[in-house]
Amino acid sequence: MSGDIEGQQNGNTALCQRCHEEAATHQIRSDGICTKCFVAYVTTKAIKRMETYKIRGTTKTARRLLFPLSFGPSSASLLHILDQHIQGQYLRMNRASYELVVVHINLYVDPVDRKDADLLLEKYKSRFPRHTYSTLNLEDALTLEGIDWKALKMEEPLNTQNPADKLQALLGSMSSATSRSDIVSTLLTRLLVDVAKKSECESILFGDSTSRLAEKTLTETAKGRGFSLPWQVSDGALSYGIAFNYPLRDLLKKEIQTFSSLTTPPLTDLVINPKSSSHISASSKTTTIDDLMAQYFETVEENFPSIVANVVRTTSKLKSLPDEDTTSCGLCGLPVAKGTDGIYGWGGDQNTSSQPTEEKLHHGILCYGCSRSINS
Amino acid sequence: MAPTLCAICQIARALIIRPKNHQKLCRECFISIFEAEIHHTITSTSLFSRGDRIAIGASGGKDSTVLASVLKTLNERYDYGLDLVLLSIDEGIKGYRDDSLETVKRNAVQYDMPLKIVGYDELYGWTMDQVVEVIGKKGNCTYCGVFRRQALDRGAKMLGINHVVTGHNADDIAETILMNLLRGDLPRLARSTSIVTGDSASDVRRSKPLKYAYEKEIVLYAHHKKLDYFTTECLYSPEAFRGSARSLIKNLERVRPSAILDVVRSGEDMAKLVPEEVTGISQCKSQKVSLSSADGEREGAGGCGSSNGRNSGGEMADMEKKLQQDEEAASREIDVSSLASSTAHIHPPEKKGHDPKTGKTGRKDAGRKLVKQTLGSCKKCGYMSSQEVCKACTLLEGLNKNRPQMEIETDVEDNESSTLRRRMGGVALAAG
Ligand SMILES: [Zn+2]
Ligand SMILES: [Zn+2]
Ligand SMILES: [Zn+2]
Ligand SMILES: [Zn+2]
Repeated sequence: MSGDIEGQQNGNTALCQRCHEEAATHQIRSDGICTKCFVAYVTTKAIKRMETYKIRGTTKTARRLLFPLSFGPSSASLLHILDQHIQGQYLRMNRASYELVVVHINLYVDPVDRKDADLLLEKYKSRFPRHTYSTLNLEDALTLEGIDWKALKMEEPLNTQNPADKLQALLGSMSSATSRSDIVSTLLTRLLVDVAKKSECESILFGDSTSRLAEKTLTETAKGRGFSLPWQVSDGALSYGIAFNYPLRDLLKKEIQTFSSLTTPPLTDLVINPKSSSHISASSKTTTIDDLMAQYFETVEENFPSIVANVVRTTSKLKSLPDEDTTSCGLCGLPVAKGTDGIYGWGGDQNTSSQPTEEKLHHGILCYGCSRSINS
Repeated sequence: MAPTLCAICQIARALIIRPKNHQKLCRECFISIFEAEIHHTITSTSLFSRGDRIAIGASGGKDSTVLASVLKTLNERYDYGLDLVLLSIDEGIKGYRDDSLETVKRNAVQYDMPLKIVGYDELYGWTMDQVVEVIGKKGNCTYCGVFRRQALDRGAKMLGINHVVTGHNADDIAETILMNLLRGDLPRLARSTSIVTGDSASDVRRSKPLKYAYEKEIVLYAHHKKLDYFTTECLYSPEAFRGSARSLIKNLERVRPSAILDVVRSGEDMAKLVPEEVTGISQCKSQKVSLSSADGEREGAGGCGSSNGRNSGGEMADMEKKLQQDEEAASREIDVSSLASSTAHIHPPEKKGHDPKTGKTGRKDAGRKLVKQTLGSCKKCGYMSSQEVCKACTLLEGLNKNRPQMEIETDVEDNESSTLRRRMGGVALAAG
């Protein structure tokens, strides 16, 4: 657990249990530690996960890694840490083992929101100038190859049609908030993979904390996407030929949030903090499964941080199935084993009247999770 | 406004919003689709064979009553050729089972099925009341839990029946899946979704024909078929992980009705992703059969109010503590190994295991080795167990040593069971 130690009694400040020099202002598990040691702790945890990309031999070319920047505390903190890491490599060896290709994906279609995002990205550029930056819009995912429009029950977007409108139409046809957010995150991942390939990056660095990965484990399970967990939670798992890495996977959400306010200068004006999940109610129409899980793990993290970490550690042991006899899902693109596609015709749905046998033939393949969001 | 017509027959007026998918149905269509789905579960998994004798684990509660009623209907409609028997367990807690056993007795008449009530005294030589006298009120939860887990299997064996069906529904299974994820228990996660537990080597197979049926639909079915069941609040206030998973499931269902089914589906898919070295189950064996039923499943209403005197969150707090200790131990191990590697020229390098099947090089993960579960059977009673002697037999051994002491009859009022009786208020579950 981390956090500020409030109200030290009778001004008798305890000393940091790591360096024994500064006053203890934060806590990691049962140890009270100073700000400097806290920052070092977070940084070390992240850098340790970057060991795959350390300098090897005499290779001069830096490895290219895609860095999706959401403006949240995690991606801002990770960018700060890696920027310093790269700077350190330059100072010591006059070269860096990797370079970052930063991309921000606009999830909002409103021009006002997009303008705000552009302005914020400019701030990042001036703070961390050594990286390349670009912005894409979520609807760009709609023009990707491999999206099966028939499976989505939609016509292929015409060149003349505004892709943003098309995206609006697709999301508008979804029956629930959960399905909408599910499709948004699915499209986002596909778009990132595409950007990574086009910009010749070998992997994508996600800012997910251990708390976020635990949340994701249960969210994906609840959305019928349990089969996809090896790709979504394991470090270094290859999806579509691109490795997914999570350098902050050994840190709690709270620790990262604290960290983002402790850097010099602080990241505060670069970060858009997510709204607190404490107001979420399961009876609201706009509440999603993602919201419920975020709220749930916020409480679990507070009292049982090791249980949160254990969920992630355990889930990472799941292995993906061998690639034989699979077809790519027409939406998320993950391999679907033969005969396991769609939400109909398995043990849990044998309702013959709901099974569109005839249609299925020319409707393409969707995995269970995508099919659930598209069809209900 | 014209009344909404049933989405299936388009003739009758829709009276029921189906919890599973919010389809609007008439009473007849709901009943027939509920039955058809269970028929499909049974046939698509080849659960039974003609001539099988099947014991229905009957507690008088809604799940097992609906199971008995549906199985009787389907057995006649589709001519399964099954010999169905109701099997009830009497823990021997004075007063506790009275009402539920009366319900089961009425069910036996209503469904024209033979009923066998097996007491803990017949199975173990001890009633729970006698156990409480020896052990005291404190430790008896362990006994009740361990005994209950084996009771149906042992009871079936006594009747010469090798297949027990239980009323576990989709909500129970989804709950178990989330619970095992939270507990980080992959072996149990791998087993929790199987419709059948116990393999050819075990004496008694267990199965869950209601595996895909929503609890809310079971309540609706019981209501519309006017089934006679015993409504009771579950006495077992669940342990922290299960309780946590249960409230999550309820919230998920509210946000997206298909979520329960989707969790079950995820669980089935994930079971295939659990590495063999964790489950001890070879992937070439059928996915549907797993090794053990001793998975701490909810076994209907508990007999001893297991959480009495326990503060909630106890299990989670215990686990948190253990994990933190493991983490500290692991971090010390890493220190040691980095020391060792700096002097590697003295010691021969550690051999790296190579797994010919995966082609992966095994790397020792400090302090976090996967626990392989090997399941055998108890030397004494033959029940499946990971130990040489199963838990029940171990507990019985201890009890039997204390036997003489027990013969001194005490007059102390049995507080435990009277508390239970008071708590057995009939709180009806809201239908729909
Ligand atoms: Zn310090
Ligand atoms: Zn998909
Ligand atoms: Zn109808
Ligand atoms: Zn035994």
